[in-house]
Amino acid sequence: MRKTTVFLTIVSLLMISPTLLVGQSKGDLLIKNATVMTATKGTLEGTDILVQNGKIARIGKGLTAGSGVRTIDATGKYVTPGIIDAHSHAMVSAINEGSLAVTSMTRIDDMLNPSDISIYRALAGGVTGALLLHGSANPIGGQSTTVKFKWGRPVNEFPVAGAPPGIKFALGENVKRSSSTPQPGQTPRYPRTRMGTMEVIRDAFIRAREYKQAWDDFRAKKTRVQPRIDEELQPMVEILEGKRKVHCHGYRSDEHLNILRIAEEFGFKIGTLQHGLEAFKIAPEIAKHGAGVSIFADSWSYKLEAYDSTPYTGYVLWKNGVNVSINSDSAERIRRLNLDAAKMMKYGGVPEQDSLRMITLNPAIQLGIDNRTGSIDVGKDADIAIWSGHPFSSLSLCEMTIIEGEVYFDRAKDKTMREQLAKEKADLEKLEMNRAPGSGGTQPRVPTERDRGHYSHGDEDGGHER
Amino acid sequence: MRSKLLMLSFAAICTFFSVAVSGQSYAITNARIVTVSGATIERGTVVVRDGLIHSVGANVSPPADATVFDAAGSTIYPGFIDAASNLGVPAPAAGPGGGGPGGGGGGGGQAAAAAAAAAAQSGSNSNYPAGFRPEVDVLDLIRAGDSQFDANRNAGFTTALSMGRTGIFSGQSAVINLAGNSVSSMTVKAPFAHHISFVTIPGTYPGSLLGTFSALRQIFNDAKRLQEMQRAYAADPKGMRRPETDKSLEALFPVINRQMPVVFSANRELEINRALDFMKEYNLVGIIAGGQEAWKLTDRLKAQNVPVLLSLNFPRRTAAASPDADPETLDILRFRAETPKGPGRLAQAGIKFAFSSGGATSIADYFSGAGKAVEGGLSRDAAIRAMTLGAAEILGVSDRVGSIEAGKIANLVVVKGDLFGRDRFASHVFVDGRLFEQKEQPRPAGPGGRGPGGAAPAAANFGGTYTISIDVPGQPLPATLNLQQQGTAITGTMVSQLGTSPISNGRATGNGFSFSATVQFGGASIDITVQGAVSGANVSGTVDSPQGNIPFTGTRNP
Repeated sequence: MRKTTVFLTIVSLLMISPTLLVGQSKGDLLIKNATVMTATKGTLEGTDILVQNGKIARIGKGLTAGSGVRTIDATGKYVTPGIIDAHSHAMVSAINEGSLAVTSMTRIDDMLNPSDISIYRALAGGVTGALLLHGSANPIGGQSTTVKFKWGRPVNEFPVAGAPPGIKFALGENVKRSSSTPQPGQTPRYPRTRMGTMEVIRDAFIRAREYKQAWDDFRAKKTRVQPRIDEELQPMVEILEGKRKVHCHGYRSDEHLNILRIAEEFGFKIGTLQHGLEAFKIAPEIAKHGAGVSIFADSWSYKLEAYDSTPYTGYVLWKNGVNVSINSDSAERIRRLNLDAAKMMKYGGVPEQDSLRMITLNPAIQLGIDNRTGSIDVGKDADIAIWSGHPFSSLSLCEMTIIEGEVYFDRAKDKTMREQLAKEKADLEKLEMNRAPGSGGTQPRVPTERDRGHYSHGDEDGGHER
Repeated sequence: MRSKLLMLSFAAICTFFSVAVSGQSYAITNARIVTVSGATIERGTVVVRDGLIHSVGANVSPPADATVFDAAGSTIYPGFIDAASNLGVPAPAAGPGGGGPGGGGGGGGQAAAAAAAAAAQSGSNSNYPAGFRPEVDVLDLIRAGDSQFDANRNAGFTTALSMGRTGIFSGQSAVINLAGNSVSSMTVKAPFAHHISFVTIPGTYPGSLLGTFSALRQIFNDAKRLQEMQRAYAADPKGMRRPETDKSLEALFPVINRQMPVVFSANRELEINRALDFMKEYNLVGIIAGGQEAWKLTDRLKAQNVPVLLSLNFPRRTAAASPDADPETLDILRFRAETPKGPGRLAQAGIKFAFSSGGATSIADYFSGAGKAVEGGLSRDAAIRAMTLGAAEILGVSDRVGSIEAGKIANLVVVKGDLFGRDRFASHVFVDGRLFEQKEQPRPAGPGGRGPGGAAPAAANFGGTYTISIDVPGQPLPATLNLQQQGTAITGTMVSQLGTSPISNGRATGNGFSFSATVQFGGASIDITVQGAVSGANVSGTVDSPQGNIPFTGTRNP
């Protein structure tokens, strides 16, 4: 009886999953003979990586895999951990809820668009994961989401399971609406100054403390009526309890120092200072607090509050023992974060592996996902980029991007796909519903220069996003 | 005074069309009868008496007192149902009840003052942000009167789900019959459902989709809590502070108790997924309205048992060719090409769906859309079902409308020609047993001439330059409309201090024009719809935005 059942199970398994017949399961791969930049143990020449069930199973020479396992010959090519962008707004339908100064109730998770083409473009630059953040319109913005760019998969497979939750805070010009002109009859939103910004943040934490107290009293049966489930204050309580990481946008060092002090006053630690182009001025204080910093590789003086920055910001922070990552905050720059890492070597001379870590392991640490990704180590997710040459060369291209052992970008395949898509498009354009009206018709929308820049479109605060 | 005269003349026209009163009996003989609930009768009689279907069959004889119509060559269908419409609901003026401007807050302390300010401005004492008025009942918004429904009824529609027009919650909808002199006599079922649209309230909270979802969560959390508190207080009020009364939250009790469905307006896959997620999160009985990409999510719809009020307003390119514009994306090209195949795929997957007009400018689009769905793989029978009994089932009224059965409400349409063809003509429409008869007009000669039955008459030319003043409260906004008309299509620009906006979807209407445009205000892009009526050198109308409707007046420049 039992034998029959087992037999039937095997038969049905074979019927459902033809891949089992050839011994290949999802997430199995063998990469042969690559130059592997591990981000933890230096660079290994002529090395193989065996991937099983989406995890890195072995790293070494002369590795073999079962029959039917895809083998990629990486002779002459470089392999790095998949790049992680610690500040992105890719695949997000709305970025800013700019109406209120505190919008901790909003969730980027609600806004994920798995068909945003920026995802594919990021993959083409070797990026496998990102922290998707609310914009910088408010002192306290929305709840963030940490994703892997599993292009083509259902949206619920993008968020990284077990990644600690996060939230966006912001300081400075964007928050005090320096560049927004109120429309006639519109009341300017408080806060209008940097000191007002700090007041708003402190006030929110005081309210969160009271809210937490109300719930604690209820749970201890000191009160009879259950308090309101407050979407705004609930995430603030999670910050106070150390369960939610704060990623705080800011440029001026005095403001970033202030947010570290507020955190210390309320007994929690800031996760990252975002941008922090002046953070080199307070590098020892940041190191002492234990916050990470996620910077642009350059962009010095691009706006007034970024005026004092230098290309050496990353180097100075690194020298002081701060965990530094380099982010894109842009659908365009996300495709070339490898070159931004190279700039760390050029300006100040950060060693090669530490520069690479600024776009791989360091952001993984900042997002709290370094236990599973960010370096080429046995047991970690097989999140891997394969490059035509050294990834710090502007002549190199990312040829293949792999997440958990699955290939999500393949440059060779992309080339053949281009022809297919061009043909499909030409055919679709001939259909009646896709043809321009014979006469009349509405005026088509002509793109403006603004559309092509940073995430200004869909940005409720009218630009100046990053 | 003038509007009264206008109403009187409308009323006169209506009486002309409505040739008899209910109570009388009719027999339609020698017709093909598509009962929908049973087999089609190739040649038979339907008897209507006292507003109900008295009898139907191949061998039914007309009663002696009945007015008899010989309908040889015609087909009788159950009256068509528009499963999602705004029929009878006037475009609201800015001000009380509407989602007027003002700061609101879904949060706690920080937003209280803003919410109070918003409430003051919107004339409501609600504790919730603008756009969150689930207590609004569409029956209080609908205006009765036969003439409102002329175009739809003449095309064969007898029943519609009527929904509010604005807000994230657009109020509680009702199923109405499309004739009657009082809202109470027109009502078939009310309230039917709550309605949620993923829209924003520019200039206030929620000003982005992010906030829309957060504010939705907060109001559902609060409704659940208030209901529990009210129950606890009712059981034992001693020693407990009395819970607040809150009509917005109380309106949601039937929804959180799964006694009333929530209709989510969601068209593309992304939106439908978000709606399905939200239904799951709050354990709601859900329905999708729009649903043109619902065919991509049949597994989820099935698992959650969610029907679709499918819009027949199929997407098509309206923009003129231009070398300066970016080429259209593969996504939009595919969407337009695949949409007509969607209904067939939904039927294949066993998803319940009904057809709706989906805000189409011309009701003729409903029929051409249904025809395209049939070309796209849906059976004719299934298409007719989605226009009648299928809709009645989803709307919870299949025991009284949607099929031709003795005892049901006498909502019937007699159609000459092919239902999905251009020669379609509804000669007799019965609503609650009242007959509305149409005389077939001679077909306009020449190319581009369209048959009657919802088709637009040859339009006057409304091209030209208009100087208008938009009545923004406290800040009238001057603007100029530059309109060019070709056929019934209108193109051009709208110029104001907010910039120059090209207009889209422009059409000449019976007495003026309508078009859409996008204006920049407060850093946000706001989609507006403008409807104007032209009378000599004067123009008046409304600018419809997510914030509500703002009237405008002006002159046509010579």
